[in-house]
Amino acid sequence: MGEQEDRRTAVSEARFESLLDTAADGIIVIDDTGRMLVFNKICERLFGYTAQEAIGQNVSLIMPPEFSMSHDRFMSNYHRTGERRIIGIGREVSGMHRDGTVFPLELSVGEAKTADGRQYIGVLRDLRSRRAVEQRVSQLQAQVVHMTRLSAMDEMGAAMAHELNQPLTALLLYLQAVARQVKACHADGKPPSDKMLDVLDKSVQEAERASHIVQRMRQMVEKRDPERATVDLREVVNEALDLSEFVAQGATVTIRRVFGMTPIHVDADATQIQQIILNLLRNALEVAKESEERWVKVSIGSDDRSAFVSVTDSGPGFSEDVGKSLFRTFSTTKKSGMGLGLAISRAIAQNHGGDLMADPGGNGQGATFTLMLPMHRPDDAEDDTWG
Amino acid sequence: MYIIVEDDPSVADALESLLSGAGLPVRVFASAEELIHSAALTADDTMIVDLGLPGMSGGELVRHLEKAGANPKVIAISGKSSRTIARETEGLSDLKILRKPPSADWLEAITA
Repeated sequence: MGEQEDRRTAVSEARFESLLDTAADGIIVIDDTGRMLVFNKICERLFGYTAQEAIGQNVSLIMPPEFSMSHDRFMSNYHRTGERRIIGIGREVSGMHRDGTVFPLELSVGEAKTADGRQYIGVLRDLRSRRAVEQRVSQLQAQVVHMTRLSAMDEMGAAMAHELNQPLTALLLYLQAVARQVKACHADGKPPSDKMLDVLDKSVQEAERASHIVQRMRQMVEKRDPERATVDLREVVNEALDLSEFVAQGATVTIRRVFGMTPIHVDADATQIQQIILNLLRNALEVAKESEERWVKVSIGSDDRSAFVSVTDSGPGFSEDVGKSLFRTFSTTKKSGMGLGLAISRAIAQNHGGDLMADPGGNGQGATFTLMLPMHRPDDAEDDTWG
Repeated sequence: MYIIVEDDPSVADALESLLSGAGLPVRVFASAEELIHSAALTADDTMIVDLGLPGMSGGELVRHLEKAGANPKVIAISGKSSRTIARETEGLSDLKILRKPPSADWLEAITA
């Protein structure tokens, strides 16, 4: 009987061994002191120890130190109270590779009462690939948000160009007409006619029509329900930079972040501030791309009244003339037409009680755009400053 | 005769002021349909037509006139992008295009 029993045990063990080695998950068996009795092939790959090295050691070997400390306590607690924290439940835990890499694991634990005492069987699944997928999904979502923000600005630009076209056309034609008549009268030595005054009146009306369109646009920017909150400017800017870096993956321009260690609190609509940053960044990246050094520097600073975000590029800077017209609605030095973006950005900044300023650089210095926002003041947080 | 086909009343009026101020004979129509119903054009006429008319577009009007055998001198005006303009005027020959807003003296451009 003994011999038969031994053989049956041997067959059963062989089956168990092959099961362990073909399993897609890591399998570990420990005794009630935490000593590892089984450590399968997948575990060897997951943790970087051979079965020979692992078996006999405490299971804390494959846990990050902060977990291994509490593991012994959990086990003795379970032995004392029978309260199940993980057995039969399963949860996400952290494992540690021999090289110190900590990674997420899904752990399910079963319990077996054997002649040698209680043993626990742990099944481990590496969560890193799932994490990578989740990360990718959230990155893509971020990209969509980013694109939506940028295209909203572009669409607004196109809509405005279309709407402004008619009054500007009429205005210019009226002025051309009246200029001709004035010249003709002048040549004949006659006084200006009523008809000319009439045309001048009409041109004033057209100029007003154009300015109403601009006012309507300004209201769109300013009267959007503000979602003002006290935010750390560093976080707001960081998020915008992350979005932008993701979208520009593979780009050759380096984004340098020069941030301090202390939070910089401002009262702002984070989304609108990010719109400004993305807009400045897009301009800067486009300029830097053409430059030799190819970097964009984003720095954040503050004094006791104001917070600053500066975006500098490695480009050649721009001339004083261009600097003067930069914020004019449709002026741009590039084909993509970011002049409107700058004008909107400045409107948003001013609506926050701040401003957007440009330092043209030149003489080997790139241009710097600085967004200024008032610092959050705890005293008048409830003050109706934003009216 | 100078024929203006433009749906924006201010642009039409301004254009009329410019041309009539120079002593030129002008008629204004707010749509292609209005022009077709009330006037016949000859090769002596100059038609200034907005490409983006509601209803029958400026491009369609020019094609319609070509088919009807009327051959006025045509000047198209448009505030759209050059790519859109190219698409809208595809297949139309002998067409001068003026873009809104004006960047030069339109009277000179129209009477040249």
